Amino acid sequence: MIKVRNLKKEFIQGQERTQVLKGIDLNVEEGEFVAVMGPSGSGKSTLLQLLGGLDIPTEGENLINQNNLNTMSEKERTIFRRKYIGFIFQNYQLLPTLTVEENIAFPIHADGSLTREKNKEIYELMNSVGLKELGRKRASLLSGGQQQRVAIARALVNHPTVLLADEPTGNLDRNKAEEILGLMSKFNRESNQTIIMVTHDIFAAGFANRIILFKDGVVDQLISRKDEDYAKYVANFMA
Amino acid sequence: MLNMWRISWRNIIQNKKRFFISLLGIILGTAFVTSMLIADRTTNDVFNYYEQMYVANADYWVLSDEHTYPEDDVLPLLSSSEVTETLLALDKQAFLELDGDQTVNQRAVRITGVDNQDSSLLKLPVIEGTLDNKGLVIPDSTANLLNKKVGDTIKFTNMGEAKISAIVEYTQLLVSPGDWKGAESSSFRMMAPLELLRDWTGMDNELSYVRFQTNGEGEKLFQSLQSEFQNSHTYIQPVVADDRQSNDIGGLYTFFYLIAGLSMFISGFIVFNMIYTSVMERKKEFAIMKSFGYLQSSIYKLILIEVSLLAIIGTAIGTPIGIWLGDMFMQGLLGVFEFDMVYSLNWKIPTVISVIIGLLFPVIFSLFPIYNAGKTSVLLTLKTANQTQSSTKKYITRVVLGAVLLFFIFINHPISYIAIIVSVILLFPFLLMLLKWIFMPVLKTFLGYSGNLAAQNLTQQLNRNANTASILAIGISVILLLSAVIESAPEGYEKEIKSTYGGDLRITSEAAWTDKDMTRLLSYDAVENVEPLTEATPITWETIDGMNRQFSVFAVDKDGPSLFESHEKDYLYNELAKEPSILLGERAFDEWGGNIGNYITINTPSGTQQFNVVDVVKTSNYSGYVAFMDENHLNNEFGWMNNFDMLLTLNEGYSGDQLRNPLWDDFGGHLAKVETVEDKINSTTSALTGMNELILIMLVFVVGLASIGTANTLLMNTFERTSEIGTMRALGLTKQQVKKMIIGEGLLIGVSGVIGGIALGFILLYVMSQSKLLEGFISFHIPPGSILLSFIAGVSLSLLASWISSTTASKINIISSLKEG
Repeated sequence: MIKVRNLKKEFIQGQERTQVLKGIDLNVEEGEFVAVMGPSGSGKSTLLQLLGGLDIPTEGENLINQNNLNTMSEKERTIFRRKYIGFIFQNYQLLPTLTVEENIAFPIHADGSLTREKNKEIYELMNSVGLKELGRKRASLLSGGQQQRVAIARALVNHPTVLLADEPTGNLDRNKAEEILGLMSKFNRESNQTIIMVTHDIFAAGFANRIILFKDGVVDQLISRKDEDYAKYVANFMA
Repeated sequence: MLNMWRISWRNIIQNKKRFFISLLGIILGTAFVTSMLIADRTTNDVFNYYEQMYVANADYWVLSDEHTYPEDDVLPLLSSSEVTETLLALDKQAFLELDGDQTVNQRAVRITGVDNQDSSLLKLPVIEGTLDNKGLVIPDSTANLLNKKVGDTIKFTNMGEAKISAIVEYTQLLVSPGDWKGAESSSFRMMAPLELLRDWTGMDNELSYVRFQTNGEGEKLFQSLQSEFQNSHTYIQPVVADDRQSNDIGGLYTFFYLIAGLSMFISGFIVFNMIYTSVMERKKEFAIMKSFGYLQSSIYKLILIEVSLLAIIGTAIGTPIGIWLGDMFMQGLLGVFEFDMVYSLNWKIPTVISVIIGLLFPVIFSLFPIYNAGKTSVLLTLKTANQTQSSTKKYITRVVLGAVLLFFIFINHPISYIAIIVSVILLFPFLLMLLKWIFMPVLKTFLGYSGNLAAQNLTQQLNRNANTASILAIGISVILLLSAVIESAPEGYEKEIKSTYGGDLRITSEAAWTDKDMTRLLSYDAVENVEPLTEATPITWETIDGMNRQFSVFAVDKDGPSLFESHEKDYLYNELAKEPSILLGERAFDEWGGNIGNYITINTPSGTQQFNVVDVVKTSNYSGYVAFMDENHLNNEFGWMNNFDMLLTLNEGYSGDQLRNPLWDDFGGHLAKVETVEDKINSTTSALTGMNELILIMLVFVVGLASIGTANTLLMNTFERTSEIGTMRALGLTKQQVKKMIIGEGLLIGVSGVIGGIALGFILLYVMSQSKLLEGFISFHIPPGSILLSFIAGVSLSLLASWISSTTASKINIISSLKEG
């Protein structure tokens, strides 16, 4: 479903060129929950941004369901993102002036495709992430865990092809993080939702089916959760 | 080493668009202030220049209440050792001999014969030719209208002809109509050699007046001549530079300062917004600085330098623009008047003042943000995010205070206007919320979901957005008010002129009117009534501060024409009849500076006298720069015997214009002027029409400046919401949708400002129209042209302002903005 071939990204700042991604090859199948791990500056967030069409690579191919994001115009990428990509950010990135309900419905409103049917779905989604009572509350007034639930619901509202999560539990304590990861895992299992999650946290990575370890802009190792020693590998790698 | 100036410079230019907009605000504010100060000074100079030209070097003049007097009466004066220079003058009404089909009244000309055209007691600004005492001196406007140049001949009916020896600029002594329409109601004026005029008229020993200069013993001579002339028709007056009877420009200065103050206020708000947002954004930076030992004073200094840099650049650019704008404004302003006046721009002192203002006002408006920056708490700032939301308590205080101040609508006092404006500013957030609720469906229809978001975003910085809209509203309301006043003023003037003109037609003669003349006048079918009008002029008097002034004194009595308005007319007539006392018109009263019951010193034909000021009254005669006295006292104690004017009341269905030609035909030998009440109304109100055009131009400028404020605010809002806009883009909002959202916000602010401005304008106008102070002079008149213009200008300039911010918003880098969040 997601095919990445020889993906490279170079940043130029003044005279200095920094190659963040040095040729990534990656396949992610439908329904997979993939965790991307690696030290700071290894390029994992950049990969997520390229997969989500927030940026374009310097070189390489980035296909989501046969659609090459690199050949799309800026506007086409935006519309593609709205329809097929769901985002969850570490700091939630909710819109403070909007209510919980409005935040969740944002991608649908932006698309101008709100129907009675969709409205019903939004309420179901709110229910499933435990926000049933908070629909009319301003997003900025919620706790961190509640805000991230809103972010999850917003990311899923359009039934995206892939859910991209960048350190979704980075700002939460262990209990809240477990709740959020459990929720993501639930959607992965029950709705066959494809998820790619960038994380530093080995505990969070434990919820994924597969772990990609990044180092210096290249994929160092691919580890399956089925592998009994995956935790040891990851711990050693991160160390 | 750290260079504060360099750091400050880097800080202010860090955001180039914001820097540019703030700078533009200071530039325009300084430019407007400069131009208005220049306009004020230059206008003052222009009128002083013409006053001085009229006075020249003359100290005194000897006149008569009988139009002319024998030259023999002043022979001792002419040979007096105290007199250093004299000018003899004789005025005579005549008619131009023209080839065209001009009517008799259009050909009327008043010739002043002088014994020396080049005398220092006359100041004739020559454009072409020389003052050779051989030919005619005519004003430029007359030369153009008659298509004559120096050396050409002008013929006078039944008198003779003379060559033009000089063409001069506009001067009060030779005020002439600039077109044939104007010539219908006012005579041309020309100057000829005295001997030539005497040859033509046979008035060999006659003089209208003698002007003279003294060698320092003038006061003594004046007093001795006063007593000498006491029981004769001749009288002496000092020559006084005072043209308030012909110019009523006091209101203009208020207008200049109103525009200047408004511009400064709007620019100050732009600077405040910019510095305040910059301080809020950099709180963390200040906290870090303080944690490393920076003092509160060092932070003050840093921001102060930033503001000073902005002020210096803005003033340096704004002041020259202001000088240019002032020149443009003066051209427009003087073009409004009937006469071709010249001016030299008085720019030096206004420039110095505006440089000082330009440097100071950004600093003054930044004091609060500077204080705020210095007070940054290290721990709180480093721990918590910026708090921008206002508390409910503050809003409640705001609404209560605003509502209380709004009650000033019902209080009839000038302070009410300020209270109402403050009230509207305080209540503007609620108006904005209301308008948001009303306009949300419209925005949604035209801008889709972006319109919806725009309406919601408006509440995020409600106070700032409301302040921006209220600034636009105040600008619009003040200009609308001025426009409404100017549009409704003609109606007010018309009403006042009609009720105090005393008739339908005023005719002026060179000789006193006889009973035979009156019988002839009454024999016209058109004429219902004829009333003699006695006007003693020129009469000099003293203000409370001892300054010499000059006006006319009219004779009044209860059976005569109505020349002033008062609720207790009969009482006043009785008071005036009791003893020699006086009534002052409003402007004369203000200029005098005394109180009712005090005594005013007047140089009457019978010598210097003091009169009790019985009351102050409203009158259209000389725009209120005039006095009234009982007819008997004017004749006896005051010493003015003759009347040269007649007020004619016409029968139903007749107009003054129909009488012009018969009057000139029958009384052409001594008739000097025929003025209908409509002529008077037209000449009074024509300048107002021109002023209205200037006001409309100012409206666009003020709205433009306020729109820079809108652009500034929207830009601030955009920068503060970088992360939010980045998130929206990440979630699928296209650049176009982001643009629409910002445009929607700008449109809401603009429309709110315009609607609020129109509403505030209406409220202020209503309060003014109810004001007892103005006594119904300003009617509740809605100026549709100005409303339409303010709506179009307000909305389109707000759209332009929001477009600037929308392009910035649409270019926000998604990835870096997400990192900021």
